[in-house]
Amino acid sequence: MESVHKELLKIENLVVEYTSEDNIIHAVNGIDLDILEGETVGLVGETGAGKTTIAKSILRILPDPPAKICGGKIVFQGTDILQMKEEEIRSIRGRQISMIFQDPMTALNPTITVGKQIAEAVGLHEKLTKSERKQKAIQILEKAGISRERYDDFPHQFSGGMKQRAVIAMALVCSPLLLLADEPTTALDVTIQAQVLQMMSELKKEFHTSVLMITHDLGVVAETCDKVAVIYAGEIIEFGTAEDIFDHAAHPYTLGLFGSLPDLNSENRRLKPISGMMPDPAHLPAGCKFYDRCPHASPKCRNSVPDKRKLGQSHYVRCFYSGGNV
Amino acid sequence: MQNMTRFLIKRILWLIPVLLGVYVLVFSVLYLCPGDPATFVLGTDATQEELDAFRHEYGLDQTYIVRLVNSMKATFLDFDFGKSYITGGSVGDQLKVRLPYTLLISYIGIALAVLIGIPLGIIAATNQNTWKDSLAILVSLFATSMPSFWFALILVMYFGLKLRILPTIGVESWKGYIIPCVATAIGGAAGIARQTRSSMLEVIRQDYIVTARAKGQKEFKVIGYHGLKNALIPVITIVGSNMAALVGNSLICENIFSIPGIGAYLISGVNRRDFPVVLGCVVVLCLIFSLTMLVLDIIYAVVDPRLRSIH
Repeated sequence: MESVHKELLKIENLVVEYTSEDNIIHAVNGIDLDILEGETVGLVGETGAGKTTIAKSILRILPDPPAKICGGKIVFQGTDILQMKEEEIRSIRGRQISMIFQDPMTALNPTITVGKQIAEAVGLHEKLTKSERKQKAIQILEKAGISRERYDDFPHQFSGGMKQRAVIAMALVCSPLLLLADEPTTALDVTIQAQVLQMMSELKKEFHTSVLMITHDLGVVAETCDKVAVIYAGEIIEFGTAEDIFDHAAHPYTLGLFGSLPDLNSENRRLKPISGMMPDPAHLPAGCKFYDRCPHASPKCRNSVPDKRKLGQSHYVRCFYSGGNV
Repeated sequence: MQNMTRFLIKRILWLIPVLLGVYVLVFSVLYLCPGDPATFVLGTDATQEELDAFRHEYGLDQTYIVRLVNSMKATFLDFDFGKSYITGGSVGDQLKVRLPYTLLISYIGIALAVLIGIPLGIIAATNQNTWKDSLAILVSLFATSMPSFWFALILVMYFGLKLRILPTIGVESWKGYIIPCVATAIGGAAGIARQTRSSMLEVIRQDYIVTARAKGQKEFKVIGYHGLKNALIPVITIVGSNMAALVGNSLICENIFSIPGIGAYLISGVNRRDFPVVLGCVVVLCLIFSLTMLVLDIIYAVVDPRLRSIH
């Protein structure tokens, strides 16, 4: 990368908790994450690790109650989103930062035509006449591979892949600076997945949008991401460029993720899943959160949380284990 | 749109068997009813000749089938509802005069119920587990449990007798409609509020509501546009089922307030074994009810596009 990218979003020590009747669930526990202009950052981790919570915190659309942002900063273009007034954050939502949701089947309003829902997003942020709004919505739909005749169709008349493309079109219609893509391909079958990723990367190039790609699919990460953050129990346990993570992974959890992928060249026909479960976020252990499942765990890991350990220019890991003894 | 027309025609054609069925049913029930209309009308001291003459005049001496067929022919082909046994006047003419009163009270009642119930439900749902929600639930529980005639009497006592700002009887001025309409509406409003609350609570947890927020839409429009359009679908069903209760309530209210509507006419007909009156009233009420349901079905299809594509 020869050009110097400017910082677009900087998350510092973000803490999010959910309060249930008798427990406090620690969903996000002190996350730091930077996203540069035009860059795609992957957020990888298993279900319940706090990925979606992070994305929703950035837009401040977490349901409150039960969710509460307890601490940290989310600085977007120099301003802390968490300190903004309601109107300020509303003018950013959908305009400068927009989000693609996990399940395209339920992300569209079933009683409003797809075209109208996209035109609505335009109308909220740009002063255009009704027909100009419609024109713009049709343009983005066509870019997403949906013909203009489908403008007046309702979501139930769309196939799953079309719905997801419509959702992506809706997120990109105001050419946002940052796109939060929450598992954009999880609900789709593999052929459609490839199409959708292709389309996203084309649109991303055209609008020069930064992307936070939330996924648990390492294939998607390899395909799209410049940098990768591996998240476990609400903490980023390893961060680096895609190359760092794929070729020089250091955290036992990251290694475990790769180990659990099927290897076609290997004789061994069985998958190697990471044994055990992610700790209950209501009762997190005192030391390293991965302690119970870690093959290299030592007494030290049990009692103290490992700090960031730098491995390269942008590569860091939160683990005491470095190949030898701890 | 072509689908819609076909759906409409189908629904309107369905009215025919419904009305015929209701007619046969009510006619049969009245036929089997104990009590002889002739003795009722002429009194126990009437002579046999007088009774026979009365029965002959109104066709009461014929068989069940002949009477049914004749009466249906007259009603559905000539729109003649027959003559009242008591007054001898045309039932159809009476219905025409009385219908507007009943329609006015029922429809204002429904409109009021919707106008009170839906906002109340939305407020409760968007303030779930706060005092506003609890208050709304409490009020609607109270209102559902309260018979409308009792509520009507309380209103009369307070506004009519104590404060003397509303008439206690009759509908000479528009003020006379206030208590009957409010009394008919109150039960329905409570039911609608509860249904709106529960369906709104479900809807505001849906992903598309988050999508709407993520677009930058104002909270008021997220709830009022994206939310309400979906939450209303089950509410329409409740409005429909309230219709039946509302018509019933308006009958009671007509009696309490001496409003010359169909309800009062129906009850007087029942009391005096005036069968043509009863039959005419029931058929007209059935028609009103069916037409209202038809309108609700159309509203359904307008609100829910998924329904439209099925038809």
